[in-house]
Amino acid sequence: MKLKQLFKLVLINIYHNKMRTFLTTLGVIVGTATIFLVVAIGKGGEAQVNEQYSKLNVGTIIIMPAQRGKVIDPLTKKDAELFQKSKNIAAAFPILNGSGDIKYNNYSDKSSYLGIMPQYQEASNLNLLGGRFLTEEDEKKKARNAVVGFELANVLTDGSPEDILEKTIDINRRKFEVVGVLKRMGDSGSRQSVDDSAFIPYSSAERYLLGTRANPVINAQATGLETVKGAIQDITNILNENHRLGGAEQFRIMDAGSRLASAQETARTMSLLLLSVAVVVLVVSGIGIMNVMFVTVKERTKEIGTLKAIGAKKKEILGQFLAESVVISLVGGILGVILGFANLPVLKYFQLPALPSLSGVLLGLFFSVTTGIFFGFYPAWQAAELNPIDALRYE
Amino acid sequence: MGKESKCIIDARNIVKIYQNGAEELKVLDDVSVKVMKNDFIAILGPSGSGKSTLMNVLGCLDLPTSGQYFLDGIDILTAKEDQLAEIRNKKIGFVFQKFNLLPRLNAVQNVMLPLLYRGVEEEEAVRIAKEKLKMLGLGDRLNHRPNELSGGQQQRVAIARAIVGNPPLILADEPTGNLDSKSSMEAIKIFKELNQARNTIVLITHDTEVAEQMKRVVYIKDGRLFQN
Ligand SMILES: Nc1ncnc2c1ncn2[C@@H]1O[C@H](COP(=O)(O)OP(=O)(O)O)[C@@H](O)[C@H]1O
Ligand SMILES: [Mg+2]
Repeated sequence: MKLKQLFKLVLINIYHNKMRTFLTTLGVIVGTATIFLVVAIGKGGEAQVNEQYSKLNVGTIIIMPAQRGKVIDPLTKKDAELFQKSKNIAAAFPILNGSGDIKYNNYSDKSSYLGIMPQYQEASNLNLLGGRFLTEEDEKKKARNAVVGFELANVLTDGSPEDILEKTIDINRRKFEVVGVLKRMGDSGSRQSVDDSAFIPYSSAERYLLGTRANPVINAQATGLETVKGAIQDITNILNENHRLGGAEQFRIMDAGSRLASAQETARTMSLLLLSVAVVVLVVSGIGIMNVMFVTVKERTKEIGTLKAIGAKKKEILGQFLAESVVISLVGGILGVILGFANLPVLKYFQLPALPSLSGVLLGLFFSVTTGIFFGFYPAWQAAELNPIDALRYE
Repeated sequence: MGKESKCIIDARNIVKIYQNGAEELKVLDDVSVKVMKNDFIAILGPSGSGKSTLMNVLGCLDLPTSGQYFLDGIDILTAKEDQLAEIRNKKIGFVFQKFNLLPRLNAVQNVMLPLLYRGVEEEEAVRIAKEKLKMLGLGDRLNHRPNELSGGQQQRVAIARAIVGNPPLILADEPTGNLDSKSSMEAIKIFKELNQARNTIVLITHDTEVAEQMKRVVYIKDGRLFQN
């Protein structure tokens, strides 16, 4: 029998049993929708991680005191200069981190400011909305100039961030002139957002705002992803030599690459877990299909006998019943994908990042059809193996 | 000689034994039968005499315990399962007591099935199926499903299915067994006409009146065949 006609026959049989078919497919629908959504969540999560880390150089290494609060033996600008001498490190610069009142006209905001070296701006891929970055000159002169993040500027100007250019702002009651405003960066994956911060020269932050409380972190850029390990080793050695009290032990050395890797790993583990739930659902629904196919074969035993009498071969009977379970599961798969799409807004409501994809659709359909083939095979095989006279005599 | 004498069924010393636990039941006991082309033969016997068993053997649905069987020159006992299916499809048209139509298919779809299993294109199969149904007076019932047809009409659909592929042999097992007398007469008339159109027919019945209308009658009792 030609495949096309076999499928027609199958569709006639399935159509005749619409309700049963639908009930049988429920499990497949849920299973397929789950797979589709799992893939969507996985992709969404991965995209989110990548997005978060895209602004961070993978060669970035952050060195910071291991303990919060008062630090006896802080990092210094000199450490950064020593790091920079390592052949594995392209650049290293200290960053001072403070918080306080930032004021402009009548608006004020509790926010953070960063004392940075000029290299910071390039290393962090900052982009200007207007004005200029801080320069070597600013650093040398301990200039009271500032670059302001987008959101901070937005808040201080009540919605027109560019207006703050060349104006004076107060940072903890010290006056700074705004020389640059940054573009919106989005979430950067670091602890505080660039968008909410003000940037001033490192030397100025030390001199005017922090004084002896200055406790920088150091940002070091490895020359490449493959030199990150060597760079970390060099940094450790330098710290051991220059901080004799506690050595490198008292500092935390983190590299962006391995943080990215572990974040991706977490996302993947999550997906895998959800995927196995979906597979369990499909196995359960597959057993349902198998049950229904057994009943179907039993009901149609006499018909199978008739078909054999008029010339149906074993493989044609097998094919017919296998196709029936595959079509049932495929229908379930398609409805499942539709259900999956329909549920995307629900995920959005719960703020789960979900990204529908063709591979999610295909994986869902693949699993549903596989379920149909796997669990439909044994009943179909039983049908094919029926002895024609026993089948004909069956009432 | 020539075509007329061509032997369609040549069964020799057929024995069929059913094993019922430890008990052996000899349902066919040394049955030999020859059917020539264009024969119209009744196998007449009481219930339980082994008629259906004989038909299953002759119809290649079941293999005998021993003996020899040639159908249209083919040695059936050495054929494999798929070959048997093909032989049934091409050489035999079955008519059953209970019609055995597929309930979800309409008349045309039921009739064309043997052609589809033969690999005929659907359009062609539909055309031939309609032709046969019209020939049997069902031109206005083409798209009716079995439950929308009377018993007599269903049996005519079944006969159309049996002859749709022009098999050299038509095997009918109690084809009138589930029909009222009027429909029975009609069915017998159709078989007669088919025989006049050079079809070879073996009809199994327990009804003497039916058997008497065939060209030739052989009797079966307790698995033994008697010819006159
Ligand atoms: N598959 C079988 N297993 C055991 N006994 C069978 C089987 N088929 C038929 N018989 C027995 O063989 C005998 C003949 O049956 P059957 O050929 O159907 O008779 P008929 O069609 O003449 O009424 C009966 O006694 C029946 O019980
Ligand atoms: Mg019988």
